[in-house]
Amino acid sequence: MRIVTWLLVVVGLVLVGVGVAAAIGQASSGAQPWGNELSDNFTFVKALPFVLGFGVAVGLLMARTYGAKVRSDGAVRRWSPGTVFGHWVLTLGFVLALPTGMWQYLGGILDVNLPIPLYLFYRVHYIGASIVLFAVAAFVSYLSMTGDRSLLVPRGEWGRHLLGLAYELPPSLRGRYAKLLRIDLRQPRPPAGKFTFYEKVVEFPSWSIVLALITITGLIKAGRYVVPVPGFVLWLASTLHVAAMVIIVIKLLDHLRYTFPRWSLMGAITTTWMKERAPAVGHGAGERGSSAAGIAGGGDT
Amino acid sequence: MRRLVALLGLVWSLANLGVAYFFLTSAFVAKTAAKEGILAQLSLLLGGVLIAGFAVLLARECLRMLTSAAASEPA
Repeated sequence: MRIVTWLLVVVGLVLVGVGVAAAIGQASSGAQPWGNELSDNFTFVKALPFVLGFGVAVGLLMARTYGAKVRSDGAVRRWSPGTVFGHWVLTLGFVLALPTGMWQYLGGILDVNLPIPLYLFYRVHYIGASIVLFAVAAFVSYLSMTGDRSLLVPRGEWGRHLLGLAYELPPSLRGRYAKLLRIDLRQPRPPAGKFTFYEKVVEFPSWSIVLALITITGLIKAGRYVVPVPGFVLWLASTLHVAAMVIIVIKLLDHLRYTFPRWSLMGAITTTWMKERAPAVGHGAGERGSSAAGIAGGGDT
Repeated sequence: MRRLVALLGLVWSLANLGVAYFFLTSAFVAKTAAKEGILAQLSLLLGGVLIAGFAVLLARECLRMLTSAAASEPA
């Protein structure tokens, strides 16, 4: 089975290479009266099916790395190697797509032009977007193959999770949050499982929604070069695409703010392993997560 | 390693503060009102405030990491 998965990945890689080369060759042949920007638009949209298909194939390979593991020193595998790979690929995509997308938007708002031609910003943005789409396709494929739902709040568990989240919030916010959601803080703090309540209630759902939003709106925007898209739909997709970009900028800041002081999380997303009682805040604030034994209870993600 | 990550985080938060500045100032210029309308102005204002707020929170964490790393070093 493993050899079949590898074969699919190799075939996917070859097809991406051939597909992208054909699209670039067609755009740069001079047969069409396209400028740099329009050529890139067509190359991007024609490459997308290959990129998405390759992502699905790599997701199958990522799923092969799924499974709970405990090291002899008691460390547990918090993320599978496949998840870690997908996370860093997604990071690379954001590093390329976010600043270039932001400049396209801000440049228009401020009405200024840099000495660098605008089409180069679009080109880098499309490369970044392709990497993001590849990672999203890989994660969808990975999650459907493994059936892993450990980052989702199980049915009937929202009350416990919202209570747990209250105890993870800073004391200055806890009271207001509890009052808003009518949470009884006299109840004991529930134990966190493999992931913190903040990760399950805030981080994962919001990342999923915003990634879905930027992916769908981006595909609609790119799709207009191959199928007619009504003006209103295009306007709505463009507006929501920018909104999703701004939300991602904010989410990224929050993600880094949350993970940096919990250094064990940084270690886990690099090495896949988590050793210490996790994920403790490195300085001050008293959040404590699950024990290593508790983490070992489920599969890695 | 922590120090390098903290420094990169600090650079990222400063860059985002720059973005927030352009969002906030653009929300109040007549050109945006004429070109984009009041909804875009409000979105820029809200986006700018949120980006600035979270950038400050990240910068604070990075500074804490830098100072705690300096404090843990032997004299």
